[in-house]
Amino acid sequence: MELIIKELDALPDAAQQLLDYAGDRNIFCFSGNLGAGKTTFIKALCAHLDVREAVTSPTYSLINEYTYPDDFGNEKVLRHMDLYRLNQPEEAFAIGLEDYLYGDDLTFIEWFEIVEDWLPDDAVIIKIEMLPDSSRKMIFL
Amino acid sequence: MHLLAIESSCDDTSAAVLRDGEILSNCIANQTAHAEYGGVVPEVASRAHQMNIIPVVDLALKKAGVQKEDLDAIAFTRGPGLLGSLLVGVSFTKAFAMSLDIPMIEVNHMNAHVLAHFAEDPKPAFPFLCLTVSGGHTQIVLVRDYLDMEVIGTTIDDAAGEAFDKTGKILGLPYPAGPHIDRLAKEGQPVFPFTEPRIEGLDFSFSGLKTSILYYLQKRVKENPDFVKENMADICASVQSRIISILLNKLVKAAEQTGIKEIAIAGGVSANSGLRRALQEKGKELGWNTYIPAFQYCTDNAGMIAVAGYRKYLAGEFVGQDVTAEARLKMT
Repeated sequence: MELIIKELDALPDAAQQLLDYAGDRNIFCFSGNLGAGKTTFIKALCAHLDVREAVTSPTYSLINEYTYPDDFGNEKVLRHMDLYRLNQPEEAFAIGLEDYLYGDDLTFIEWFEIVEDWLPDDAVIIKIEMLPDSSRKMIFL
Repeated sequence: MHLLAIESSCDDTSAAVLRDGEILSNCIANQTAHAEYGGVVPEVASRAHQMNIIPVVDLALKKAGVQKEDLDAIAFTRGPGLLGSLLVGVSFTKAFAMSLDIPMIEVNHMNAHVLAHFAEDPKPAFPFLCLTVSGGHTQIVLVRDYLDMEVIGTTIDDAAGEAFDKTGKILGLPYPAGPHIDRLAKEGQPVFPFTEPRIEGLDFSFSGLKTSILYYLQKRVKENPDFVKENMADICASVQSRIISILLNKLVKAAEQTGIKEIAIAGGVSANSGLRRALQEKGKELGWNTYIPAFQYCTDNAGMIAVAGYRKYLAGEFVGQDVTAEARLKMT
């Protein structure tokens, strides 16, 4: 599936389309260059899911956890991870990545390429590309 | 009284020993601490904390000349931070406290960054404002007393330290890029116009700055492939000066709103020489008393946990064995 995003106002709709596209799949991996808008899109996804806390970059903290209500109003946990600072896959496992990759919670991962070989088969890949007119192309796989 | 403090919220494992409010030792696990036990220290891993925690506590006690039997309490970082890393410190603390039958004191990492100002003279007077800036945090804290603080401004996306690091990545500088940008900025002039974001109130945003720097450089590199190389010092000076102006403009606003003239900075980015100088100049201009901690108390360290723990000890604030680490611990 492919989307062209021309302005920030289009992100809530893109978030809904991604969640519809994903269905029951819960691991979301975001690929794109620095400044492509990975964190910005994840903020839009969190807002769409009704996360009430401020969603900030996990580059330094590696993992940020938030809560959101499911369809029945139960509190669910979602994780926002960023592997940007890691140099080896072992470091990702040392912070408990396997538990998250094969758990049931919603998990958004930026800079996931270092653990690409270990992702579950049904992980959703989101490619974000900056176009010359500074709009963004998003591809969902 | 003797207090042991443990910090393991992110990359570094640290232990400190304090006697009656004075820090006797403040050790951060690195190759030196580890050499005695052999092995290497991975850059990022909570397993590294498990390897480091005993050696670093041992070192802190030895350096302080204190026996573990002399300890009256143990303070630890409960959060915020990386859960796996925090758990190592919390579990160690519980076992240590139980074996010595001494009380435990939980400390919030962000409160401790602020209280690092009380490790040494000069100390700010209450109430004061503290701008805490690091790789993971950017916040303005209104400090009414040792144990009474309120966050009045915070980043809505990236932290200031991250703005340094990500810009460094664009420029091809090694991680962490802050010190490199600081060094190169000294040789350059802030001639490039990176715009300041308009954010309501006392909050910060650095995500847009990163993108605007990227766009600007991409455009210039198209005209001249060597643009970055030829203008490295000026680019660094421009980036640094913009990050500093974003920080200081909000700090000025906070000082105006609260009428407070005791102004402090804390956290790893307060090691940045440009920020230190700009704060001092702004302080002279506006009649502030400014406070910058010694470098060893700026970055993550157990000395600041010890200072915070000591204040809680005096206030009689202890926790029981049912305490757990809290990755998203809020400031109180």
